[in-house]
Amino acid sequence: MRDSQHTIVRPRTVALAGNPNSGKTTVFNALTGLRHKVGNYPGVTVEKKVGKIQYEGNHALLLLDLPGTYSLNANSPDERIATDILLGRADHTERPDLVVCVVDAANLERNLYLVSQILDQGIPTIIALNMMDIAESQGARIDSNALARQLGIPVIPMIASRGQGIQELRVALRQPHVPLQARSWHMPEPVEREWEELAGLLQKYHRLNASTAHHEALALLTTAATSQEDRQRIAPEVLEHLAKDWQKLEFLGYNRQTVAIDARYHWIRSITRGVSKRTFAAGLTTSDRIDSVVTHHVWGIFIFLAVMALMFQTIFSWAETPMNWIGHGFDWIAFQARAALPPGDMRDLLLNGALAGVASVTMFLPQILLLFFFLGFLEDTGYMARAALIMDRFMSRFGLHGKSFIPLLSSFACAIPGIMATRTIENQRDRLATMLVAPLISCSARLPVYSLLIAATIPSIAVLHIVSLPALVMFSMYFLGLVAALSIATLFKKTLLRGAPPVFYMELPPYKLPGIKSILVQMGERALLFVRNAGTIILGASILLWFFASYPRLEGAAPSEQLQHSLAGRLGRAIEPVIRPLGFDWKIGIGLVSSVFQREMFVSTMGTIYNIQSEDNAATMSLKEQMQRDIDPQTGRALFSPLTGVSLMIFYVLSMQCISTVAVMRRETNGWKWPIFQIAYMTAMAYIATFAVHRVGVFLGIGV
Amino acid sequence: MTLLEVPAGARVRIHQVKARPEVSLRLRELGLCEEAVISCVSKNRGNVICGIRNTRIGLDHRLARSIHVSVAE
Repeated sequence: MRDSQHTIVRPRTVALAGNPNSGKTTVFNALTGLRHKVGNYPGVTVEKKVGKIQYEGNHALLLLDLPGTYSLNANSPDERIATDILLGRADHTERPDLVVCVVDAANLERNLYLVSQILDQGIPTIIALNMMDIAESQGARIDSNALARQLGIPVIPMIASRGQGIQELRVALRQPHVPLQARSWHMPEPVEREWEELAGLLQKYHRLNASTAHHEALALLTTAATSQEDRQRIAPEVLEHLAKDWQKLEFLGYNRQTVAIDARYHWIRSITRGVSKRTFAAGLTTSDRIDSVVTHHVWGIFIFLAVMALMFQTIFSWAETPMNWIGHGFDWIAFQARAALPPGDMRDLLLNGALAGVASVTMFLPQILLLFFFLGFLEDTGYMARAALIMDRFMSRFGLHGKSFIPLLSSFACAIPGIMATRTIENQRDRLATMLVAPLISCSARLPVYSLLIAATIPSIAVLHIVSLPALVMFSMYFLGLVAALSIATLFKKTLLRGAPPVFYMELPPYKLPGIKSILVQMGERALLFVRNAGTIILGASILLWFFASYPRLEGAAPSEQLQHSLAGRLGRAIEPVIRPLGFDWKIGIGLVSSVFQREMFVSTMGTIYNIQSEDNAATMSLKEQMQRDIDPQTGRALFSPLTGVSLMIFYVLSMQCISTVAVMRRETNGWKWPIFQIAYMTAMAYIATFAVHRVGVFLGIGV
Repeated sequence: MTLLEVPAGARVRIHQVKARPEVSLRLRELGLCEEAVISCVSKNRGNVICGIRNTRIGLDHRLARSIHVSVAE
């Protein structure tokens, strides 16, 4: 026994499985602390979270957090990953040695459904019976010892949110032997017999392992009809046998589609009968009472609009003060550095290249943090699922469905989490339609661009004495993005991605007080990612841009001549013929090109360009003022006229200028076809719309 | 009748789930299976929140229409 502990070659891998909303993430964090790595499964953007459970004496277990799933009959990419790993047919991840299945005690029967499927796979399993307090508050007393006896496997009662039961689970995970149970749910004998035969054939013709063969055989036996993919993939001998099986079961009067589910639930009820006692009848719960208002057909909409208004108002107004602090902080650093360093290329590089670029982007950290805080808060309280339900009717008019709402809302932060959030949409076409339009929603990276352009080009006057014009323009840009996304989705769903109308079903978890700690941890992770980006990609790109804008040197030339002569100037000039019809000059061209790294690079690019271009008073004049003073030599008017500002913003709303989004699309759709299509349609749309706005503006003489 | 016609607060027994096969499978796995007794917790413009024991599941009007039920005693 002692020897075997010393001869472990690789650490034991434990997989954490469970239904969505069962508290799996809380259990994962409690077991691993913050010792975890977040990556991706190869080929898909399903998050792969691996953590270490550290024990004294340098002993550790690897804990793999599987995506939440209701069943091993996967119907989304997320669930497929969980299923493949548990069946031992994933190329990228070895089959775990042990499974911890997190079970929501308040939803015992439904959660045991997944348990019954996992037990079928013949992997030792431990149940973490979570949310015991909620079950009790709803009138269910569950005897975990009795449950363990009935199932024949360890059951650890816990309240993970308060850390109760975590230590017991840690101890249980170290037990060298976890009992393995033979399958104890059974279908009627004739069905069982056909199942065994079919599994045998699959093993023979497809060389599947026993658990995969049984899993597939059951799926085939109980499906309404085989898919085209199945018919191509499966050996004709197996298909022939399957057709006979179906006939036989039909003749015997079995409903193929329900027989296995009924059998599992029958088994589950036989177990829970002796285990769970009702102390009082659960009528309407607090959640139901809240729902009668929050999802009410009139109040629900008002509450929804109020939540959204509050969220955006907060992001724009609360963030202002910390944004100013950050701005002042960087000013102070620049001032100190200017005093400390001797003038020359080095000082130029540090101040005008590196610092100016990083500062202009880091400014927006508070807004991004607030946005992620709100998204986390809505998710954690349970409101997000209700919002999806409320929005479903509205979204279905555009061929999208309720679940598209969450990805689109997340896209206000960034299209990348938005595109990743589409993983919960089961239907591939619905999912693709959502992914294709997600980047049209104005993300937080556009915000700095809009802010700068509005400050520089839109006069601060009140419209109808109520709304300020800059605020109205800002709102219009967000609105334009939303309208474009919904219209394009409608178009795609009627043409390219035509299919059956989407259906929407979603579990509505009970409302709860948000776990502020987990929201903050998530915010921290996002902030770190953002700062890391600013510190690497943006810093690098800023330095590169400074170099391009400063070399080759033209001795004795005025800064503006120097810039024209530089590499960046030449590049900007090269693309100028293409963007002239939109009213943009070569300096804006440089901004557009550098935006390809990340959209907010436009701001830092303008910062770099105007710092280089302006004369001695650069330090005392803000970027906004320098842009306002810039005269377009071709027209003799201000380059950044209100019309240019609006045109440029419209271009930013509609165009796809983000390498990271392209990369995510490629990974998510497994190829270049869709990302290329997305770049093409968005760029074309942006160009045409901007051209039209510019021409109409010039023709009518508005804002020139 | 279908779940769409059930007033909020009523308890009903499911007779048949007639959505697309892959959707029907998942609904049954979630507990919305034939012979199950469920309650209609609330309705929002054709969308239905139904209760299966402690679980609450939101369904759109198309799915609600595809679930055939009768009043449970």
